[in-house]
Order: sequence, then C-alpha cells, then structure tokens
Amino acid sequence: MLTETLQDLCQLPGVSGHEEKVREYIRLRAGKYGDCQTDRLGNLLVYRKGKKRPAVPLMLDAHMDEVGFIITGVTEEGYLRFAPVGGIDPAVVIARRVVLENGIKGVLASKPVHMMAAAERAKMPEMEDFLIDIGAADRAEAEKYVRPGDTAVFDSGYEPFGDGLIRARAIDDRAGCAVLLEMMEEEPEYDMIYTFTVQEEVGLRGAKTAAFGAAPAAAIVLEATTAADLCGVPEESRVCKVGGGAALSFMDRSTLYDPAYYKAALALGNEKGIACQSKTVVAGGNNAGAIHKSGKGIRTLSVSVPCRYLHSPYCVAALSDIQAVAALAKEAALRIASGAWEAAER
Amino acid sequence: MKIKDWLMELSPTAGISGLTGALDTAQRELSRFAAVTRENGSLIGRIKGESDYTILFDAHIDEIGMLVTAVEEGGFVRAAKAGGIDFRTLAAQPVTIWGKKPVPGLFASTPPHLQKDGESEVSDISARLIDTGLSAAEAGALISPGDRITFRQEPAMLLGDAFTGKSLDNRAGVAALLETARLLSAQKKLPCGVTFLFSDQEELGCRGAETAAFALQPDEAVAVDVSFGDSPGLPAHKTGKLGGGGMIGISPTLSRAVTQRLTALAKEQDIPNQPEVMGGATSTNADVIALTGAGIPCGLLSIPLRSMHTTAEVIRLCDVDSAARLLTAYALSGGLKGGSVKC
Repeated sequence: MLTETLQDLCQLPGVSGHEEKVREYIRLRAGKYGDCQTDRLGNLLVYRKGKKRPAVPLMLDAHMDEVGFIITGVTEEGYLRFAPVGGIDPAVVIARRVVLENGIKGVLASKPVHMMAAAERAKMPEMEDFLIDIGAADRAEAEKYVRPGDTAVFDSGYEPFGDGLIRARAIDDRAGCAVLLEMMEEEPEYDMIYTFTVQEEVGLRGAKTAAFGAAPAAAIVLEATTAADLCGVPEESRVCKVGGGAALSFMDRSTLYDPAYYKAALALGNEKGIACQSKTVVAGGNNAGAIHKSGKGIRTLSVSVPCRYLHSPYCVAALSDIQAVAALAKEAALRIASGAWEAAER
Repeated sequence: MKIKDWLMELSPTAGISGLTGALDTAQRELSRFAAVTRENGSLIGRIKGESDYTILFDAHIDEIGMLVTAVEEGGFVRAAKAGGIDFRTLAAQPVTIWGKKPVPGLFASTPPHLQKDGESEVSDISARLIDTGLSAAEAGALISPGDRITFRQEPAMLLGDAFTGKSLDNRAGVAALLETARLLSAQKKLPCGVTFLFSDQEELGCRGAETAAFALQPDEAVAVDVSFGDSPGLPAHKTGKLGGGGMIGISPTLSRAVTQRLTALAKEQDIPNQPEVMGGATSTNADVIALTGAGIPCGLLSIPLRSMHTTAEVIRLCDVDSAARLLTAYALSGGLKGGSVKC
C-alpha cells in the first residue's frame, strides 16, 4: 500500500549526507524487483527489467534526503550548537522538539516571552542564536551522547489530517520515494532505472552523479513542491493547490523544463483522466536542475506532490495528489520510454 | 516514579478554561488522597487535620491557549489568544480545536522557497491561519467561534530526569501538589487541615484563585507555580537552576513569615531549594490570594522551568519532588501555627 510505504518512509530520519536508513529500507524492498547499485555518493540506482528495451532510456528520480540539523558543538552548559542542513526557517525551529540519530531528544530552547521587550518579541531570532537542550547537566554529560557531525530531525510523526490529507515530516521527498517503490513492484513495459538520490537539499548534489551513472536519455523527477493555497493568498501566488492533482513544472529556479514534455504530460493527464495542474510560480528547485544538464543533456519532466509548509515539522499533502503523481508518472514513463514523445520538437 | 507518570498524563491534556481534560485527570488522582469537589472551574481537595486551622496549597491547572474567532475560506481558522502566547513560536505548530469533536489543526507557515529576504517580522495572532485540512463547509459544521484551541505536544524524557512537554506551566505545580497530597494522606494525623486548590484562569490574570481563595477562607496559603529556569539568553542571576530545588519566593507582596518558615524547614530537613527574590508582584496566584478577604498570609514556591509558555518547556522531576517534600514538611509542621523550626 502506498500510504503504508509513505508512512514508513516519513518516519525514517535521513538528513542530507545521512540517508542510510532510508536507503536501506528502499534497497530491501527494491532488491526483490531489480538490480540495486549504490554509487560513491550513496545514491541507490535500481535497474528494473521490463518486457521490452526502451526506445528512450529513462530514469525516474526521487531524493531520499530531507532537511534537518547537524550538531556543530557543545556549550559549557551542555547545550548543543548546530547548523541547519538545507533551507529551514527559524520560525519553524524556535521552541520545537528534535530527535538525534541515537534517539536522544532535545528541544530548541527559547527565551520566555515574559522576559522580552516588545521589540524582541516581534523579531524572529537568527538560526545561530538557537541551542538544543537535551537535558544535559553540563558539557561532559552532553558529550557522552552527542558528537559534532551527528544529525537531528524534527520529532514529529505521520498522521492523517483533515479530509483525505496527511501531515508528516519529510513528505519532501519520501512521497516520491514511496511512489517509485510502489511503481517498481509491477513489471514495466520497458526497462527502467530508478534513482533514489542523496543530498538534494544541499544543492542537488546526489542527482549529479546519479544521472551520470544512469546516463539515460530522459528523466522524470518525482518531488514534493510548495503549495501556498492558503486563505487570503491571491490566486496568482498559490503556486499549486493541495487536492488539485499532480503539479507539473514549466520553470523553477533550477530548470527551464523541456516544453514538449511539459505539454505532453498535461495532455496525458487530461487524456487519462488523471488530475494535474501547472505549478504557476517560478519558485524552488529540484533534482531536475542537476539532471537536465548532465552529460550531453537529459530531457526532463517534473511531476510533484503539492505540499503545504515544506521544510517544517509538519508538511501537509493530499493522498489523492500522491496517487495522481503515481498514475501520471507511470503513464508518462510508458510514453517517454516508447519514444512517443520524441517526435515533439523541444 | 509517580511524579513522572502524573506529568506524562497531565501535560498533554487540555486545560484552557472551559475544557476539563486536565481537571478530570487531576480529580481522579487527587480523590485517592483527599475529599474532592469541583467549584467554579477549579478542583478542590481537603484533608482534615486535628484542628480547624487550614493551610491552602494552590497550583493553577489552566494553560495558555486560544479561542476560535472565525472559520474562513478553505477551512482555515482564525484565533484569538487566551494567555501569554509567544507569537514567534506559532508557525507549523500543531493544535487541537475543541469543536463538536476534537479537530486537529496546524498553524500555517511560509516555506523558505517563498520567503523574501530578511522576512523576520513576527505577525500577530490575528494574521495567522490554522489549517484544518477540511473544506470550509466541513470545518464550519464542526467548529464555531468561541471554541477552545490548545497546543498539541506529547511529553518526553530528555537526559536524566529532564522532562519536556507543553503546559508544564503549571502541571509541574499540579504534580507537586498531588505528590504532597499522597505523602500527607499516608500520615496517621495532621496537625492542621490542608486544602489543595487546582485553580482556573491564572493565565488570564489569576482569576480562578481570586474567587476560590475567597470561598475557601484558609488561614494561610502557599502558591505553587513555575518560574524562570537557567536558560540560554537569560542572565543567571534572574533565573533558578534546574535541579536546584524549589524556588522559595521572597517579595514584599509575600508573607515574610511563610517565606522564612519554608526556608527554615528546607534547611532543617535538607531539602534542596533556592531563593527567588522579586521586588514586587510575583505574577502568580500568590498576588491575589494574599489580598483575599481581610488578607491571607501567602508564600510562593516555584519549580524552575525553561522555555516558558512554549511547547518545549523543560523541567527536572527532582525539582517537583523537592517542592512536594518541602510542602509536606510545611503542612506536617503545622504551618505558621506550628512550633518553631530548628535550623
């Protein structure tokens, strides 16, 4: 079941550079269906045999890593210093609970509201002002449990939310990982390469070597993308809508997408009755940025799950959108690998 | 350890005035040790003594929270604050909206991809949205203006006996009184009566204690609350040390006799404690209890706590235990009517 896979994946910690728990989960499942290879950066490449050889060799990509925290030191009082890994807003860090790799929990200590002047209460602290309190009496006690380089994630689970939605940490991009894992269980028409990549959140780094290794002619990137469909946000700033179906990108801050693929994917959604929508604001970026300019260039399509509150303890997404992403990615993969979309000029 | 179990159960319960989750839990536990009644949103427990002289131990049981003001387009809810909320901490914070049934909610946040540089202004709660994940029609059917909203955070142990969770202000005090009641109920006889008050609406201005103290007319009182623990960004001299024991309040507004007796008993019985000196009002129920009727001698004992009024509050269980032992010693000594204390 897609939702169970997603729940499992969202509960695994996998801060960029420490994706091993996610990789191990995926490798155990994917190993039943294809040949698994881990490259030097830690990307997992799964070669899945299909019924036929593809006219256009295709890779389907999702990143395993997530934003989080890396411990940089311990203070005299036993608090942990840290740096954010990936883009995190101090507003979702202040006074939050985190959990370290070894299960030790901590909280982001916060000055009491009672002891601040009005100006201080109205200003968000800088990330470097925060310290993690693990309850250690002093530096010596903290150092028994934590070393510089250890990572932490928000201590927040996965749960159903509202009407057909979920809220969880790391939907970005365990949703993509879950879709690919489910997809590969069925024998594909054409051979496929699934890449589960590392270090997306720190600059699309894993995808660079994964795309080089896979060396496909085309790629589909499965992602979670920002949805700003909140009350009071004007239509033109909403980016995409939770519940509106798979989000297709024409441009973001890392990629100007292959227009033929983008248009063909929208048409395919209409043809097959799969809900899809355009991502209407040029914002964010994903592995497409590294993949599309790999080697001699790779024609790339992004299919994303609209997701509110990305990079926070609780991202919100619709299960129907994740299913739409799965359905559209599967149909698009079939068309691309068959060569049907190559006639279209880019 | 009983205190930990109580806090594990009391911390996540809802206790903004009008909700009874925390009160119900406290009542079930307090009724094991004392004769309990519920009055005017507060819980009262009495243990009889050999005299009619009565000491009141108070801990407020309410918490900071919010009230629904509107249900808007897309099923988003707007809220007003009830108590001193730190607006900086609201983004991506899960809550429970107590509508026709409990509805999970989540404060909206702006993802970094959509933020403009230097956007660090903290908006007021009136500009915030709570996402319910429901359509406007679904949300409107369940949620109405005036419905209570509480923060949601499961408690957890940190290293050693450090404990984190929501509403440890003042469930830590409630747990200290439950432990005190447990210890006192094990005694064959008490020199005087002891009344436990788990009061309502402290976070709105000590309103529950004001009427409850008037109704109860105790001979003396000790308010038990939390106070500022040592914390990054706070000068050490303005805080108590976590693990250093209960903070005995010293202030012109507090009874000097009660304060001195607490201090003397702690010394005599070697109970960890630390002084907390304030120049005036203490911003606790002690302020209003002292002015009840013709006046009630009132002291203050506080448990040091970090990150007050957030869902990341931290205390140490040993401080709750120390506070309970000191209150027990106080009651067993007969309070201000007891004999002098050797120290």
